[in-house]
Amino acid sequence: MIALNKQKREKTVEILSNVDLVKGRSLWQDAAVRFRKNKAAFVSVIILALMALLAVFGPYISVWSYEEIDWGLIGDAKANGQPSIENGHYFGVDNLGRDLFARTLQGTQISLMVGLIGAVVAVSIGLFWGAIAGYAGGRVDNIMMRIVDILMSIPSMFVIIIALAVLGKSIIVLFIVIGAIGWMDMARIVRGQTLAIKNKEYIEAAKSLGVSDQTIITRHVIPNLMGITVIYTSIMVPSLILTESFISFLGLGIQEPLTSWGALINEGAGQMQYGVPWQLGFPLAFFVVGLYCLIFIGDGLRDALDPKD
Amino acid sequence: MFLFIVKRFASTIPTILILMIISFVLMRLAPGSPFSGEKMPPPEVLANLEAKYGLDQPWFIQMWRYITKIIFHFDFGPSFVYKDISVNDIIDQGLPITFIYGSWSFLVANLVGIPLGMIAAIRHNTWIDYMAIGVSIGAAVLPNFIMAPILIIIFTLWLDWLPGGGWNNGAWPNVIMPVIALSTSYMAIIARLTRGSMLEVLNSNFIRTAKAKGLSSTTVIFRHALRPTLLPVLSYLGPAFVGMVTGSLVIDSIFVTGGIGQFFIQAAFSRDYSLLMGITILLGAVTVLFSTIVDILYAVLDPKIKL
Repeated sequence: MIALNKQKREKTVEILSNVDLVKGRSLWQDAAVRFRKNKAAFVSVIILALMALLAVFGPYISVWSYEEIDWGLIGDAKANGQPSIENGHYFGVDNLGRDLFARTLQGTQISLMVGLIGAVVAVSIGLFWGAIAGYAGGRVDNIMMRIVDILMSIPSMFVIIIALAVLGKSIIVLFIVIGAIGWMDMARIVRGQTLAIKNKEYIEAAKSLGVSDQTIITRHVIPNLMGITVIYTSIMVPSLILTESFISFLGLGIQEPLTSWGALINEGAGQMQYGVPWQLGFPLAFFVVGLYCLIFIGDGLRDALDPKD
Repeated sequence: MFLFIVKRFASTIPTILILMIISFVLMRLAPGSPFSGEKMPPPEVLANLEAKYGLDQPWFIQMWRYITKIIFHFDFGPSFVYKDISVNDIIDQGLPITFIYGSWSFLVANLVGIPLGMIAAIRHNTWIDYMAIGVSIGAAVLPNFIMAPILIIIFTLWLDWLPGGGWNNGAWPNVIMPVIALSTSYMAIIARLTRGSMLEVLNSNFIRTAKAKGLSSTTVIFRHALRPTLLPVLSYLGPAFVGMVTGSLVIDSIFVTGGIGQFFIQAAFSRDYSLLMGITILLGAVTVLFSTIVDILYAVLDPKIKL
């Protein structure tokens, strides 16, 4: 009997010592699992990563640079400028004899960068504005959100165009102006979330320990807003790229010799009637595929981080 | 009710004022004066010119004059680039054109988008549904500045059915392509919104009750389901209007319709600040008023909002 008990005990000890502790999974690990299950989003990440790699490293494998003119093909795009491997113009040349492969990659770089930098600018402004308004509450909140309401009802495209006309059509102005239009939505969402967070026990605990308001916002409030921030950023990137393309399409954004998706599509559409379909086709394909991927990734992240829906 | 409407309209006043101030400040940031050019006039003439246009005054007095002129006389001042033409003349000339094809696009987007979304929801998971979803996803990445050149390539260059530009006093062949290019993406979004909202409504209890009472499906849809379905769509009409006003910049430039967007883009290139500001303030005020009307309509139609 005792022997049996002892045997049993040893077995239990053995089992227990072999079992790994059950690890808790964080919100982010859960989200990662859910995101990986979403096939459309996962494939989009891969395609977009390839596109970004191509945009960054492609210029090194390209024979021509984006501003170099192939004098042998200038004005002769229709007859000899079609895509070919032999002369190094993988996507053909445009009407000025410039290599379209290099230009498309350069445009992809700029467009993705506008989306990314614009989103970072917009999200940082919105995050702090909303967190401060929500945390402060009362009159400060009222005034800050009233400003957001007023700014939101102004048609932003007109203000962007005026700003570009006045401040000059430089790429830095473009980044800042595009970032400066997107932050209002973010501020609203963050304020709502902050109102919910600020009544939680851990904020109360921090307060009773004498932590300053500033530290509470940066250490406790903002980290808890990261989920919604990631979702909103991913949804905002494609719309910022669209905005940039719109402005560049009108000729007010990126200036030659630099280019972007919108500017390339504009040039391609203008040259279409001269029988050079590749000049519209390749930039348009990059634009459409890139935007689709970004939209799918945004949807996937929302589903992954917001399991309620 | 009346008080609510008055309050809502009063709240647009600070928005429009701030819009005016932002545009004025941006314009003041611009380097150079309107008279600086290759041939600088002698300083005495310059001083006279500046006195004539009130440019010798401090900036806040200039701003005050500019804003009061707009509010009380609807006078946007002279254009900087087109000599002897005022901003008002250009608005008089361009706005009706933009207004005509803009209203058509707005009508088409709604009159096609809403029924399409409703049919997709009623025939849920059939080919009509899938087609509607497919079209609306496609339209999301084909905005008007891509639609417009594609339409021109197909209908003007290949088929030679429609003129590729011009206004021709609003003859219908000239209006068709601007309207299609401007309305397609909004039509798709409206269809998707209607579909989603109708699906939700059709699954709710009061619709089941209506069906259980033995009402015909036409009555169920038009008497019971339609109103709650349209509420989310209504709240999108404000942003859709803003989008169409912005889209008119592209439409006017590509189709050379002579609308107000064309002047706006030209003004941005030639740095005609007074024209830029005038158009921005006018269209900005129109959009702000439009979203206010949509808000009021929403409050009237939604039984959950108490006035």
